[in-house]
Amino acid sequence: MQHRIDTILLLAVVSVLAASMVNLYGVSAAVGTGLLMRQVIWGVIGLSLLWACSFIRATYWEKTAPKIYALCLIALVAVLIFGQVRGGTRGWFVLGPISLQPSEFARLGTILMVAAFLGKREEDRLDLGAFLVVSTIVAIPVGLVLLEPDLGVALTYSPVLVIGWWLGGLRPRVWVVLGLFGVITAGVAWATVLKPYQKERVLTVLDADRDPYGAGYQVRQSRIAVGSGGLSGEGIGRGSQSVLRFLPAQHTDFAFASWAEATGFIGASALLVAFSVILLRLGVLTERTGQRFDLSFATVVFAWLAFQIIVNLGMVLGWLPTTGITLPLFSYGGSSVISTCATLGIVQSIWRHRFVNQ
Amino acid sequence: MRIHTDPILFRQRSRVVLVLVLGALGLLHFKLFHLQIIQGQTWSRLATNNRLRKIPVPAPRGRIFDRQGVVLADNVPAWQLLVFPDEAEDLEETVAFLTGQGVIEGGDLRRKFSERRIGTMAPLVVAENISWEHVARVRTHQSDFPELSVVNGYRRSYPLSAGTAHVVGYLRRLTEGEVKNYDDFQPDQLIGATGVEGLGEEFIRGKNGERRVVVSAVGRQLGMVEEEESVPGDDLAVTIDTRIQQAAVEALGENAGAVVVLDVHTGAVRALYSSPSFDPNLFSSPLSPKEWSKISDDPQHPLQNRCLQGTYPPGSTIKPFLALAGLQEGLVDPQWSVYCRGSVTLYGHTFRCWRRGGHGRVDMKRALEVSCDVYFYLLGQKLGIERMAPWLERFGFGRPTALGPTHEASGLIGTPEWSRRVRGTPWYAGESVSVSIGQGPVLVTAIQMARAFALLANGGYLVQPHLIPPATPLEREFVPLDSSSLEVVIAGLERVVTGSEGTARSLRELSVAGKTGTAQVARLPDEGSNTERAHHLQHHAWFIGWGPVDDPEIAVAVLVEHGGGGGSVAAPAAAVVFRAALQSGPNLGEGE
Repeated sequence: MQHRIDTILLLAVVSVLAASMVNLYGVSAAVGTGLLMRQVIWGVIGLSLLWACSFIRATYWEKTAPKIYALCLIALVAVLIFGQVRGGTRGWFVLGPISLQPSEFARLGTILMVAAFLGKREEDRLDLGAFLVVSTIVAIPVGLVLLEPDLGVALTYSPVLVIGWWLGGLRPRVWVVLGLFGVITAGVAWATVLKPYQKERVLTVLDADRDPYGAGYQVRQSRIAVGSGGLSGEGIGRGSQSVLRFLPAQHTDFAFASWAEATGFIGASALLVAFSVILLRLGVLTERTGQRFDLSFATVVFAWLAFQIIVNLGMVLGWLPTTGITLPLFSYGGSSVISTCATLGIVQSIWRHRFVNQ
Repeated sequence: MRIHTDPILFRQRSRVVLVLVLGALGLLHFKLFHLQIIQGQTWSRLATNNRLRKIPVPAPRGRIFDRQGVVLADNVPAWQLLVFPDEAEDLEETVAFLTGQGVIEGGDLRRKFSERRIGTMAPLVVAENISWEHVARVRTHQSDFPELSVVNGYRRSYPLSAGTAHVVGYLRRLTEGEVKNYDDFQPDQLIGATGVEGLGEEFIRGKNGERRVVVSAVGRQLGMVEEEESVPGDDLAVTIDTRIQQAAVEALGENAGAVVVLDVHTGAVRALYSSPSFDPNLFSSPLSPKEWSKISDDPQHPLQNRCLQGTYPPGSTIKPFLALAGLQEGLVDPQWSVYCRGSVTLYGHTFRCWRRGGHGRVDMKRALEVSCDVYFYLLGQKLGIERMAPWLERFGFGRPTALGPTHEASGLIGTPEWSRRVRGTPWYAGESVSVSIGQGPVLVTAIQMARAFALLANGGYLVQPHLIPPATPLEREFVPLDSSSLEVVIAGLERVVTGSEGTARSLRELSVAGKTGTAQVARLPDEGSNTERAHHLQHHAWFIGWGPVDDPEIAVAVLVEHGGGGGSVAAPAAAVVFRAALQSGPNLGEGE
């Protein structure tokens, strides 16, 4: 007999998608109704893809990971040549009304490749060769994404790398060396690469009232939006911050803020719980599976989703600098929704095919 | 493939990640709780106080100067009253307050409110150029009506007022259809409508800016989020000479009429005045319906630019051009003469000379000097309309001079073909005789006349009249004329001023050549003297000429509507203009 997919995970995903559409409806006075229609279409495509991916055997995903990875790299190179530029980033394939962002999809290929590599290994520790392999698997797509350049998306690859090292079993002393290297790099970057506005964003986190109408404007408006939601919120489409456009990017980076303003602590908590459920079900998977590939894949997906959720909410709530990292499944954006759904579709394929006769 | 059955190590490592993440989510949830539940009231108050405004920063238009640097159009600071409708608690109350204080009349504002778009943060302009008293009243009640804001703007000002109304032009509101062509459009924006304001619009208009500011609940500015600075328009120096322009105003006085002064070589417009005029400053702020109807219903039509839009019979001022046509066609020579008995009968109709007693024997020069009609009746008969019309076209009649931007009349050169097409009747041979003294189906504008006389003065070039100095000299049409023909006509026109029988002897102190014209408006059965006629039936008086005679620089056309005799009315008026123009000495002839 065949096992069924994880319906709790599926329900949580559908809930988050539904909430994102309600939120888009609420801010449509400010951003227009066209975005809602598109997001509905992307959601339907994403869920269909999730369903389809779950039918493919998990062993197939493991086996074809190198091919999928290679395909993703080709797409990343192609977009640098044929892609369309938006906001200074050459990162989109445009076919009529459809535009796709390969950097969002290549992350799935990268996760699969890392999981397949780790799943094949029998060693408990990550030796130098394996460390270099894992690092290279992530570094190539990240390098290509940075060429577009899209720093925000490139950052979402970082949990794949770090958790890849961690699961593989990097020795503690290497962590220390990497940690020191990270600190030095950050220091040098602060002094040389970072632009003044980027530094201001970091300083704003430390002192919220530093520049309330300049660099601190977005974060301040976001906190006002969230805070004024109170317990039960101002109602969908009635949040003054979101509808009157004080809040920037109220349907993308700061979508959670307009949701929290409209639905209050009750709605915001519910959304947070839905995200927690998605993460917990990934945790349940790691507890149940006996395969290193499954464990690696689920843990890296877990880490990546958690990274985006934490960094985005940290920004919205004023604890982390603004980086342009979106809230998965909730922020407006077709490529992100579809690639996240496809990733969770492979998680479902593990549920469907691995736990036979258990 | 091989299956790893010992996942314990990996699972332990995975659990570490799980625990860390769940801890972080717990912290974020606590932060959410802190913001929304514990601090909720505080943030809610901030949200209420949070007002983002888009404040327009209008770009001042470039100033307009005359060629000597005299300011013709300027910007003066003006208070503008804005309302931010999204911030108002009850717009009806706001309207009631403003009407109660006498700042505005309510109806217009209500209409604006109903048409506004919600959530744009952009203000509506309630009133422009409000008085200091009204500013004070609004400021006193600022805390009750925080949605009101008084900002500094500009009002267009024309120091010479009616004196330059038609040539410098005035401003108008954008139409609904035009608004979308302006990415920096601001509410109640004005653009150049006519004259230099219209011609130079692209150059004079700056780029409007915008400030996005956060204000408190009482409308106090807390901080600036974004500023796009405005770019002022460029200043523009035009070809007008204010001294000549003012002389033109003085010359016409209370009379209706037109004065055009051109540089004979370049076509630069030195003065252009249409009387009666109006105050262009009125159009710099919204006109009340009463003020508008006062101007638009005036029977004298002050808004009409008589220099470009008024068409008049040329009368005797057409004679030099027909004389040239006769010489060029070889139909007559300068010595050809006729004997004027005061009238001549042609085609069974008696055509009278203006001088009942007749002029005796006249040749071409004397015919021009004394403006003998009989001479030109007979010349016209020789030429016929089929030879007259092409020559008049060559001299620039029958088509606009394209000074722009105002609509310009073409005038009329009647021909048999025109008669069939427009009137539906055949051309009468006698009409060619009338046309030869500038009556009948022939109409001209003052600017066409000034240009045609400039052609006589500059040796045959039809210049392009213009107000904005061009970067490169403008094209001139050349009309090939025998110099001997031109000399004869010019000599005749000099004798109009200097000759013992000249019709414009009042100008003899000045170095001027030209031609008078007394154009009949209507033929009365009883050919009484002009003074007995009703005003609107009185003759139009013309004088067109140039000076100085030995080195021509400017051409002047003066028309006095229903003024009477060209020699008695228009020539003295032209003298005022010539006196100012020829005194401007040092500046004349310096090109543009």
